[in-house]
Amino acid sequence: MGPAPAGAQDRGTAGEPEVIEVALEGTAKEGKKESSKKRTLAGSPVEGLLQPAKLSRAELYKEPTSEELNRLRETESLFHSSLLRLQVEELLKEVRLPEKKKERIDAFLREVNQRVLKVPSTLKTELTDQTWLPAGVRVPLHQVPYTVKGCFRFLPPAQVTVVGSYLLGTCIRPDINVDMAVTMPREILQDKDGLNQRYFRKRALYLAHLAHHLGQDPFFGSVRFSYTNGCHLKPSLLLRPRGKDERLVTVRLHPCPPPDFFRPCRLLPSKNNVRSAWYRGQSPPGDGSPEPPTPHYNAWVLQDMTLESHVQLLSTVLGSALGLKDGVALLKVWLRQRELDKGLGGFSGFLVSMLVAFLVSTRKIHTTMSGYQVLRSVLQFLATTDLTVNGISLCLSSDPSLPALADFHQAFPVVFLDSSGCLNLCADVTASTYHQVQHEARLSMLLLMTPKPMIRAFDHILHLHPLSRLQAACHRLKMWPELQDLGGDYVSAALGSLTTLLEQGLGSRLHLLAHSRPPVSEWDISQDPPKHRDSGTLTLGLLLRPEGLTSVLELGPEANQPEAADFRQFWGSRSELRRFQDGAIREAVVWEAASMAQKRLIPHQVVTHLLALHANIPDTCVHYVGGLLDALIQSPKENSSTGEEALAAAVRCYDDLSRLLWGLEGLPLTVSAVQGAHPVLRYTEVFPPTPVRPAYSFYEQLRERASLLPRPDKPCPAYVEPMTVVCHLEGSGQWPQDAEAIRRVRAAFQLRLAELLTQQHGLQCRATATHTDVLKDGFVFRVRVAYQREPQILREMRSPEGMISLRDTPASLRLDRDTRHLPLLTSALHGLQQQHPAFSGVARLAKRWVRAQLLGEGFTDESLDLVVAALFLHPEPFTPPSSPQVGFLRFLFLVSTFDWKNNPLIVNLNNELTVEEQQEIRSGFLAARTQLPVMVIVTPQDRKNSVWTQDGPSPQILQQLVVLAAEALPVLEKQLMDPRGPGDIRTVFRPPLDMYDVLIRLSPRHIPRHRQAVDSPAASFCRGLLSEPGPSSLMPVLGYDPPQLYLAQLREAFGDLALFFYDQHGGEVIGVLWKPSSFQPQPFKASNTKGRMVMSQGEELVMVPNVEAILEDLAILGEGLVQAVEARSEKWTV
Amino acid sequence: MVARRRKRGARDSEQGIPSPPGYSAIPIKFSEKQQASHYLYVREHRVREGTKSSWPQKRTLFVLNVPPYCTEDCLSRLFSPCGSVQSVELQEKPDLADSPKEPKSKFFHPMPVPGFQVAYVVFQKPGGVSAALVLKGPLLVSTESHPVKSGIRKWISSYADSVPDPEALRVEVDTFMEAYDKRIAEEEAQAKEEEGVPDEEGWVKVTRRGRRPVLPRTEAASLRVLEKERRKRARKELLNFYAWQHRETKMEHLAQLRKKFEEDKQRIELMRAQRKFRPY
Repeated sequence: MGPAPAGAQDRGTAGEPEVIEVALEGTAKEGKKESSKKRTLAGSPVEGLLQPAKLSRAELYKEPTSEELNRLRETESLFHSSLLRLQVEELLKEVRLPEKKKERIDAFLREVNQRVLKVPSTLKTELTDQTWLPAGVRVPLHQVPYTVKGCFRFLPPAQVTVVGSYLLGTCIRPDINVDMAVTMPREILQDKDGLNQRYFRKRALYLAHLAHHLGQDPFFGSVRFSYTNGCHLKPSLLLRPRGKDERLVTVRLHPCPPPDFFRPCRLLPSKNNVRSAWYRGQSPPGDGSPEPPTPHYNAWVLQDMTLESHVQLLSTVLGSALGLKDGVALLKVWLRQRELDKGLGGFSGFLVSMLVAFLVSTRKIHTTMSGYQVLRSVLQFLATTDLTVNGISLCLSSDPSLPALADFHQAFPVVFLDSSGCLNLCADVTASTYHQVQHEARLSMLLLMTPKPMIRAFDHILHLHPLSRLQAACHRLKMWPELQDLGGDYVSAALGSLTTLLEQGLGSRLHLLAHSRPPVSEWDISQDPPKHRDSGTLTLGLLLRPEGLTSVLELGPEANQPEAADFRQFWGSRSELRRFQDGAIREAVVWEAASMAQKRLIPHQVVTHLLALHANIPDTCVHYVGGLLDALIQSPKENSSTGEEALAAAVRCYDDLSRLLWGLEGLPLTVSAVQGAHPVLRYTEVFPPTPVRPAYSFYEQLRERASLLPRPDKPCPAYVEPMTVVCHLEGSGQWPQDAEAIRRVRAAFQLRLAELLTQQHGLQCRATATHTDVLKDGFVFRVRVAYQREPQILREMRSPEGMISLRDTPASLRLDRDTRHLPLLTSALHGLQQQHPAFSGVARLAKRWVRAQLLGEGFTDESLDLVVAALFLHPEPFTPPSSPQVGFLRFLFLVSTFDWKNNPLIVNLNNELTVEEQQEIRSGFLAARTQLPVMVIVTPQDRKNSVWTQDGPSPQILQQLVVLAAEALPVLEKQLMDPRGPGDIRTVFRPPLDMYDVLIRLSPRHIPRHRQAVDSPAASFCRGLLSEPGPSSLMPVLGYDPPQLYLAQLREAFGDLALFFYDQHGGEVIGVLWKPSSFQPQPFKASNTKGRMVMSQGEELVMVPNVEAILEDLAILGEGLVQAVEARSEKWTV
Repeated sequence: MVARRRKRGARDSEQGIPSPPGYSAIPIKFSEKQQASHYLYVREHRVREGTKSSWPQKRTLFVLNVPPYCTEDCLSRLFSPCGSVQSVELQEKPDLADSPKEPKSKFFHPMPVPGFQVAYVVFQKPGGVSAALVLKGPLLVSTESHPVKSGIRKWISSYADSVPDPEALRVEVDTFMEAYDKRIAEEEAQAKEEEGVPDEEGWVKVTRRGRRPVLPRTEAASLRVLEKERRKRARKELLNFYAWQHRETKMEHLAQLRKKFEEDKQRIELMRAQRKFRPY
């Protein structure tokens, strides 16, 4: 990833999108880039860490100057806050063209001007006779049909002028383009050149000749063709300087007719200028049916004619108003970040400039406004005005000869007329592009810094490949007039009707459909222009509506209604008559989808069905990218569901249990609350539990305690993790006031609970001092009795004077976390899942990935869940994800770009934190930064301490995660954006192993979750479960996971010498990393001899780790589990 | 690696195993099969004058670097050739004072996972210590006759041990609570007796349980009182009453703005350093 523009957000200002917040984020890569660049920032803070501002009293309270007061007032009235103002200023400084470069560009432009004027003229030839063109240059146009009447000769241009943003001073970096209009002399053109592409042919030949001569000139670094705004009838010539300035600027030459050459009334959208007889090579149908209008063709001719008048208009409006120019520059950045400005039909910088001009003319924008205010006003206007229904016009005259807006609405989807009243500036903009612009304007007023590539912005993506299929689609859809209009560009022609088709078909499932715009290609002057089918792929992005996704039914009209026929025609064979419960007989389409995962993919079925039915595009050409990552969170034996159903079943069972606990009779104190405290109960367990029924023969049986034990001679039994449930009892003064005694009383409650559950409900229970395990319907719950005041009592300290003070102790914190924070968090996230059905999938994919990278132990389950929750609660500038795939991509993006050093991640659960409170949290965070953990996650319940990240990750582990995410994201995005299919989607889930010093290979026989591995093994061991769940009278083996037990031993024994990394989901390898600091020879200390030995180094006796013995210990401690210990590096040799 | 091992092997035979001053090193291995060995560093247990230690002087051997698979029984067996062993105690850290010896409940204080530990081996006779100091290794933790469980077998047996016996747990809880109730009752009786009775200087202790109960002496309560006082005082104060107060408030506002501005500038500086303003 590049110098990643920050994930801009003000987390928690949802609904109040007023603030640009550029989060301060740093990735490892950026760090590298930074250091490679020269840093001249003398005053930059130490190690990129923010510190509270320190100003002396004298400085704070000195008399203000009038200048200062002015600036403060301006900031208040024109910008939102001083931070915003500074950011805008900084951003503009970055994208503006510096004066120095401007001078160099000006010099280059003068040269170009002279050289163009000096190109020699040629003799007059027929248009079809192109033999005069030298061999080294090809005509930059598809000349279909080839024959055109008319003559051509080259004469030097009448005039060469600079037009466009460069002149206005609104062009922005990085790609500086200067547009030059080359006015062709009147003698070249003839009457009626506007007909049958003759003007475009001449234009292309004119360019070809120019290209030939300029291409020979050593002054230019490169001379290439491209299309103007992607319109393939209008090539332009790109000139770049030679030498080190090659990247400085691109000059685009646009030939244009002399002013007033064509009569605008001939080019109105209702007129035809491409005759069917000529285009289709057949005589017009004799029945006298009128020729179809060619609105786009006409608009393209008109665009060339109005180049200069538009620039004049813009320069009078923008003229000296600095704020407006700033505003246009900001708008261009905004569009670029959303990839809206490129390609045919893009919402280009020119369009927004015109929009600003329009708003100035309607007095919605004033010339004294700041750039920030201009940006806001334009976005506000876009968000509220639908140009697809109510077009706007810059034209002031009320000439009756001019066509009405309605005429334009008939011909074009989006209407914005220029000052002449004849040209629709938005002629190429499709309705879906405009809707996308509107959507963006509504969504994120002002988030400038985050790029929004399609793959990360849309829930599902769909590639159409190869594009040549669209030609057939055009035939099928009978789009001859459109093709005639667009000069054979079948991609653009098909686009409009395909998007309407899909929008209609997806109906309530769809929030927004967007398409990629064909990119503007560039080619060498000696080559033919690229074919339509070579313009890459057509990518459609689907933003889904989660509430519409749950239905499997498209309900049609009643069978006897006239609309029924339309419905049948639309859905083809999928439509069938159905009788509904209310007695109605209706047409309906039913999709097969049993699980949530399949329901999410119904759009896939819809799309393939409709495309095949109506556009003749077979499903082999449709590459749907929506559920490719689902395989990673599917349980090993099932491949139709991503586990939402299994989780729901477990939660239902928990609900039953909690009802039983509520109604339990005979407890000395009644139950006051039952709260879940396990990932399953908030839908974020990667692999949901399944009901178990052990096969007794597989186990050792401990009859008197109704329990099963693992047997050493069998493979490790299935892993059953009990789900923790916290059970609060009503308050009572009878509890003892002593921590040890409270534990005994709790133990008594646990015993009683087990007894009562067995007696009253016949459940298999097992009580210990701290919890009661309950076996219910094959699920095992671990019920823990909690006493509200216990953390308080653990906290009490008595000072020597007898004063009782409260001090946090590790035990009290742990208890508080387990019995208070965890249940609260679990219920909050459970609620989040009800709002956003994709939450479960995203959280599980994210955890799966972190664990697969062997970093799972560094992060608590809850901290990762909260990071994912942040994606849903603070999605700006996106919408909350509706598919696991897009959510996972954003997770990677967030992790790789968030600046944990300088920002807390605020997760505003249930929207409980107000903006002021968040501000307070931020400033408190800065002040207390050094005492806080590296990763700080703030929730409404936990505003200061970040309980879930207190014990980790360490800075190194976090850094490792950031680096891995930054590497995984582009790889995965590239795979998903590849129209030929993603290849191996599991690539980013395989951890790099070459960094570890020692690898411990484990035997699959004793890995109970072996089948969950990323690369699921073809065969594994029997784990002692019967296939059909049923009642069991013996408690299964609980929480017995040899790799975890082994790791606990390793960490205890060698924790200060090495770090251990393992994927708990079926990993076969433990990675060991020696800690470099503990490999330094140290003097002998009695407290620090663990695993070390004494060596004489020179005269001294020093202690070094006894590596050889430790390597053998690794095998001894894991006897039976460890297959091999591979020492891979020698760097420990002291 | 191999070369290094060979080299060290040669050195071992020539000059003995290096050990820190005052200690002697005894190699220890898990079993015959292992090539390399850990080293126990042992010395006689000594304490400074004046410090108490429950381990008998002269008869106690202090052992450092006991590998995790080595249990108390194991050490006892390994040192028995030097003289009969009275007791062995394993601890996480060297600890001068003997820890309180009350037997810990296995229900409420589960055994921690062992790492490298230190041991205090008490011999019945002082001769055992001196014999142990010259012990030549390598000691073998697990032998044919006394196999030590590790890995899968160990985990299975500790899982079996962790399955609790509810009856035993109940009995333990009951005995503890009985003792606890008795203690509380005694304390209360004593408190009642002292109630209202002046001590030798004439002070009377006032408690919550007395006839006129008082606030409990907690930090939170005293903070609450202070806060109340402060609020009372703040209510009485006049704000923006005098011209100078007004001026000061304005100045304060300006100072706040300046401070914020300064902080914002710092933020911007940082962003620029991180090249955040490149929207491309």
